[in-house]
Amino acid sequence: MPILKYVDLYFKLVSAGIRAQFQYRFAFFMRIIGLITAYSGTAITMWVMLYRFQELGSWSFFEMLFLFAIAILSWGFCIILFFHFRSLDTYIINGTFDRFLVRPINPFFHFMAMRFDVASFGQFIFSILIFIWVSFEINIGWTFGKVLFLFASIIGGILIQGGLLVLISALAFWTTKSEQFYWVAMYPARNLTNYPLVIYPKIVQWFTAFVVPFGFVNYFPAAVILEKETPFFPAYIGYFSPLVGLVFFMIAYWIWMLGLSRYKSTGS
Amino acid sequence: MHQYRMYWAFTRKAFLRSAVYRFDVWSRLGSNLIFLLMWGSIWTALYAGREEAGGVSFEAMLTYIVVSQFLSGINGAGTPLWEIQEKVRTGDIAIELMRPFNVPLRYLFADFGSVAFYIITALLPLYIVLFIFMDLTVPASWLTWVYFIAAAFNGFLIRYCIEMAFGLLSFFLVETGGIEDIFYFAMSLLSGSVIPLWFFPDWLEKIAVYLPFQGIYYIPNAIFIGEIFGGEILFSIGIQLFWVIACFFLLRFVWNRASHKVIVQGG
Repeated sequence: MPILKYVDLYFKLVSAGIRAQFQYRFAFFMRIIGLITAYSGTAITMWVMLYRFQELGSWSFFEMLFLFAIAILSWGFCIILFFHFRSLDTYIINGTFDRFLVRPINPFFHFMAMRFDVASFGQFIFSILIFIWVSFEINIGWTFGKVLFLFASIIGGILIQGGLLVLISALAFWTTKSEQFYWVAMYPARNLTNYPLVIYPKIVQWFTAFVVPFGFVNYFPAAVILEKETPFFPAYIGYFSPLVGLVFFMIAYWIWMLGLSRYKSTGS
Repeated sequence: MHQYRMYWAFTRKAFLRSAVYRFDVWSRLGSNLIFLLMWGSIWTALYAGREEAGGVSFEAMLTYIVVSQFLSGINGAGTPLWEIQEKVRTGDIAIELMRPFNVPLRYLFADFGSVAFYIITALLPLYIVLFIFMDLTVPASWLTWVYFIAAAFNGFLIRYCIEMAFGLLSFFLVETGGIEDIFYFAMSLLSGSVIPLWFFPDWLEKIAVYLPFQGIYYIPNAIFIGEIFGGEILFSIGIQLFWVIACFFLLRFVWNRASHKVIVQGG
């Protein structure tokens, strides 16, 4: 079974990475604290914003926190698996990408397993605390089905955001630029989705549903779980989140492999 | 006098350098626009069709956000802090220390150059178009414009001094992670860059007015839309000047200590 072999190999590769990062324990804790304060900062900004206004596009503070926490949780996994894809350009320019090509495993897999950022524990701690807090503050009516759906949509969110990182990295095969595209396009776009998409112009909502499916990361799934309305879209659209993730990621993977096939080493 | 000619040379060089990296300029403008879309939409949704809230009209509030986004474009166009921190980490800063200029001033003047290029080629054309096509308020009297430009400039200086002083802490701490995030969060919230101070809870507003951050965005924005008017304008600019001076001395103090530290370590 090649898949089992790859799973085994993945854990071997990342456990080496984890051990390396734990050598710098102080830096590790500082980064986790940093991440948690940064996300808390966004949450506090939301609170101040709603202090006089109470709701944003019919979403209350706690509903917005819930929306935010879904995005952060899937992003945490994304950082572990795919975040380093954005710096593929550096590898290509330095010529260090070639070493991923000369080994007897899939280069995509090898590149993916190269790094494992343990600081994403910051994302996990933050989002899980928020989930617990929000569950006490508003009546979500958790059922087994809802929990299952939350997990499925987190996986969908990982695949969508991961797919986007893979797409951005694939641009490096053609343009030798990728990191910059992340900061210009994906970083601000991720910020947009911290707020319910209903507040944006219709064209933006449409774009985030059908072109770059950010809406399926948190907005549509959160609307299903919180039983909120999604104007312009049917209420059940959130259920498609895992499927959308799968399809989007496969397209991204295919484009990455296509780029790889026309990759020529810079030879430096 | 001779000294200032030297610093202007950095301004000119930075201006020309920006002209070479035009892709950077355009991409920065792109992300500035996305954030404008975000905050514009958020405030539109918060007002939810109301003509006014808390005594401020919707039109004025939208103008506040647009002006704020314009200023944040300006404030983000200089040398990024991590570039200087990287120089500290690799020891390259030692070369700058050997040269006959004041390093914080040298970076400030270089920033003038890259900011000027960014304003002329990207920000100004875009925001003029926005002001033509959106329903925004524009100051009626030319004097308000003068006050606004002065306040925006002071804000730039305050932001530069605080951010640089803060960035230099990396001389003392190898890892600034957590503190840096608290700092940037405080700067974005308490400066009123996205939420004006009058919508804050009272206790938070009281804290914010005693901090330098409000001088960066809140004061220039509020002057522009006329929320700060009459005698209050000069008073606010006076507060800004106080903070410019205070932050400048803070930066000098941190810089002196930091460069001393480099000498001790041998770079």
